[in-house]
Amino acid sequence: MLWVDKYRPKTLDKVLVHEDVAQNLKKLVAEQDCPHLLFYGPPGSGKKTLIMALLRQMFGPGAEKVKVENKTWKVDAGSRTIDLELTTLASTYHVELNPSDAGFQDRYIVQEIIKEMAKNRPIDTKGKKGFKVLVLNEVDKLSTEAQHSLRRTMEKYSSSCRLILCCNSSSKVTEAVRSRCLNVRINAPTEEQIVKVLEFVGKKEGLQVPTGFAARIAEKSNRSLRRAILAFETCRVQQYPFTSNQAIPPMDWEEYVSEIASDIMKEQSPKRLFQVRGKLYELLTNCIPPEIVLKRLLFELLKKLDAELKHEVCHWAAYYEHRMRLGQKAIFHIEAFVAKFMSIYKGFLIATFG
Amino acid sequence: MGKRNAIVVSSSDDDDDKNLSLGSNLSHSKPKSRASSVPRASSRRSKKTRLSDSYAISSRESNGFDEIKLFCEDFDDGFSGFKISTGSARSNRKDLWVDKYKPRSLEELAVHKKKVEEVKLWFEEKLRKQKEEFCNNVLLITGQAGVGKSATVHVIASHLGATVCEWETPIPTIWQEHLHNSNSGMHYTSKLDEFENFVERIRKYGLIPSSFNGGSQTSNILLIDDLPLANGKVAYERLNRCLHLLVQSALIPTVILITECGKDDSSDHSPRNWEELQLSLQRAGACKVAFNPITVNSIKKTLSRLCREEHCNVDTEQVDLIARASGGDIRHAITSLQYFCVKPHLRRSLTFSSGTPTYLKERSDEINRLDDGFSLPLGRDETLSLFHALGKFLHNKRETESSISLDHNAFLLKERFARLPLKMDAPEKVLCKSHGQARPVADFLHENVLDFLSEEAMDDAWVVTSYLSDADFLLASLSGMRSRNYEAENIVQSSAASVSVRGVLFGNFHPSPSRWHAIRRPRLWQVEQSLRHNKLNMVSQRCVAYDGLSLSDLSVVATEFKPVLKWLGFRKSEGREAQLASTKDNMLNDDSFDGTSLDNKVNETTDDEIEDW
Repeated sequence: MLWVDKYRPKTLDKVLVHEDVAQNLKKLVAEQDCPHLLFYGPPGSGKKTLIMALLRQMFGPGAEKVKVENKTWKVDAGSRTIDLELTTLASTYHVELNPSDAGFQDRYIVQEIIKEMAKNRPIDTKGKKGFKVLVLNEVDKLSTEAQHSLRRTMEKYSSSCRLILCCNSSSKVTEAVRSRCLNVRINAPTEEQIVKVLEFVGKKEGLQVPTGFAARIAEKSNRSLRRAILAFETCRVQQYPFTSNQAIPPMDWEEYVSEIASDIMKEQSPKRLFQVRGKLYELLTNCIPPEIVLKRLLFELLKKLDAELKHEVCHWAAYYEHRMRLGQKAIFHIEAFVAKFMSIYKGFLIATFG
Repeated sequence: MGKRNAIVVSSSDDDDDKNLSLGSNLSHSKPKSRASSVPRASSRRSKKTRLSDSYAISSRESNGFDEIKLFCEDFDDGFSGFKISTGSARSNRKDLWVDKYKPRSLEELAVHKKKVEEVKLWFEEKLRKQKEEFCNNVLLITGQAGVGKSATVHVIASHLGATVCEWETPIPTIWQEHLHNSNSGMHYTSKLDEFENFVERIRKYGLIPSSFNGGSQTSNILLIDDLPLANGKVAYERLNRCLHLLVQSALIPTVILITECGKDDSSDHSPRNWEELQLSLQRAGACKVAFNPITVNSIKKTLSRLCREEHCNVDTEQVDLIARASGGDIRHAITSLQYFCVKPHLRRSLTFSSGTPTYLKERSDEINRLDDGFSLPLGRDETLSLFHALGKFLHNKRETESSISLDHNAFLLKERFARLPLKMDAPEKVLCKSHGQARPVADFLHENVLDFLSEEAMDDAWVVTSYLSDADFLLASLSGMRSRNYEAENIVQSSAASVSVRGVLFGNFHPSPSRWHAIRRPRLWQVEQSLRHNKLNMVSQRCVAYDGLSLSDLSVVATEFKPVLKWLGFRKSEGREAQLASTKDNMLNDDSFDGTSLDNKVNETTDDEIEDW
């Protein structure tokens, strides 16, 4: 088991990072009036951990007995029926799914599942807790239509089910949905908090962590606790006992992006652009989201760039990132950014060095 | 029926012959008589095609010849699918110039002399040796529509004094007719079946009527002009087999005409089937003569002859235009000429259209001459293959100097926006001709355009890619809409195509020196496919994290868990040193593997590679 999972706090009491949030959630559940919840925050900040701990708090250990199901939903959409296949994860008390997997048919999923859940409503021995919890991941990736239908079903079935929504950015969740939920913002942990957690893990594993090493990992992790713990574990496998100046292995795709960046810096020509395209394809085939590729690429390029150009380059990166969201095929836009960068950089080189 | 009788009176000068021919399922007439389109008109009622008598007054009267029993139990419903015509006689009632001026002598044929000679020699040889020689009695003539394949056969036959017996394709059965027939108890046979039966009979018995010819000084030629439609693999196999047999065992000289449709015209694979058919027939021993499109000059000659005979004064320039516009199809050219002469106002418009853009005339390359056809109200639409069109866009041929610069009304552009005029039609027109759709066109351009930029032109590369990105944006703009608005979609599609093509043409300011490039299939398609595949895999791996208690985001799995798991997995199994290299190698290997497999694909798919146009 990975350390991330092994040392994940199981209950709200054991949480190390967002203690205040955890305590509030605990109070909320104790009062037995749980509203819909919307967790949002950057990746690696502990949203999922909190949700899982919350579920346990609500339903006890039973919430951890889950089974994965590949279910096909038959949706009656007016004139035709649509078959949708989706992976769900369910216990007796809750169902979790990623509705955005259904692509543009996501709105059917949201409606249909909530309807079905409302139908077979669990009844406790005491007749209490007559609701199920539906955990929806990546709500920000839902289409506007799906979010609208989510709003409607939320109202209609609010007596029988509670929603826990989870996303990275609340700005992509419609106002209507947001106002019907209790919004819980989960900040990215600070570096000190990350160091604290790493040291906790190190102690549990019985490792000697030299001073400064945990801080270096925390610094590299971009304030993502998950990244930090994963990196910590790879370092452990790479070399133990630790030395404080030990190299922290980067993710392979990040390495690949920085390779692309240095390719771009070395030569600016259509031919090189073509080679870069091949490498970008490689990244995309491995399911690295194009937005992340573009962001990382910009980051790598900025590292090597003269300050004079940074502003313009960022402008174009933002421009093509926007284009990419509106467009269909990401490669067209990433490549346009690369071409623009090459053209700017080449002009700069000629102006500076003649 | 009345019409048929009229023909009988006018054309057949041998009534006794008619009686004889009644019994046979074939009839024949003397070389001067003409039985052109009549059987078609009259055989409307015939659902089945037999080898039957085109002159049959009534088949019920038929006096018992044995042949009847052989193959026409239900002769009564079958009027001929088989007609005989020899030579050509002009009928004054014919209004179509194409029929009126059908070539009557070898000299009048517009087909190239050598080809005519070739066919003639073949006929002479076959007719001479008819008795002794057994095999290789089949001649295959191929060529576009309207290059005079049938005309050549008819003229040569009449020149040699031979009779042409023609298989005439039966009229297709329409559904109502079929219902009617099946109600009245008649059996439906497919046209392919009928053709097979016909071929079977021909092989076994040869042409029957030759026996009635009274000593048979005239020799017979069988002409199969219209092969039955073979749709699908099975039907095609049957046709192939049946023709194969015919080639191997035809008793009399047989000519099979195959009309080649331009390969670009249709997107389906039927043209390829025809090519295969030709090859297999050739292997079976058929002799093949391929007719090329008729040259502009000989079309011009024919047209001016027609003009003289019809006494209409069309000036040479217009004849020239018509000839060019016809694309080597003489039938089309003649019809155009007739149409043109009928409508006087067209002449004006023609001269007008050919006279307007002065710079058009200055350009003397082949493309433009063809393109002029578009300004003609009677031109033929050319089609281009998608690859041809892409080649035009990518190679970006332009004039060496601007010829409209002297125009005072011209809109003055800054130098960096100004481009020399294109050596082609408006890009939209080219796209339209090639039936290019926006998405594949954009993908193909994206894949290939970088090869065509000069090494130094980084700015151009940016301009091109930014236009492609615009095009992609346009293409995506409607995809999320709930209700489809086809009209709007259409406009967006065509504007996206236009943006991508014009962007490529405009952006490629410094094209690389033209050399041979293969046009690749977009790798993007392959990438998307494997991306979908990988995504599906990843969905199933989603529960790896969180100890199976929760689902995680795909992007997190891809960017964080997978690399780490790979890393840890390697670490545990392998030594420490080899590891660092091996992850990298792994990635590189993936790379190179993909590269080679792609190359293979490319080799397969770019059969129609483009050379420098």
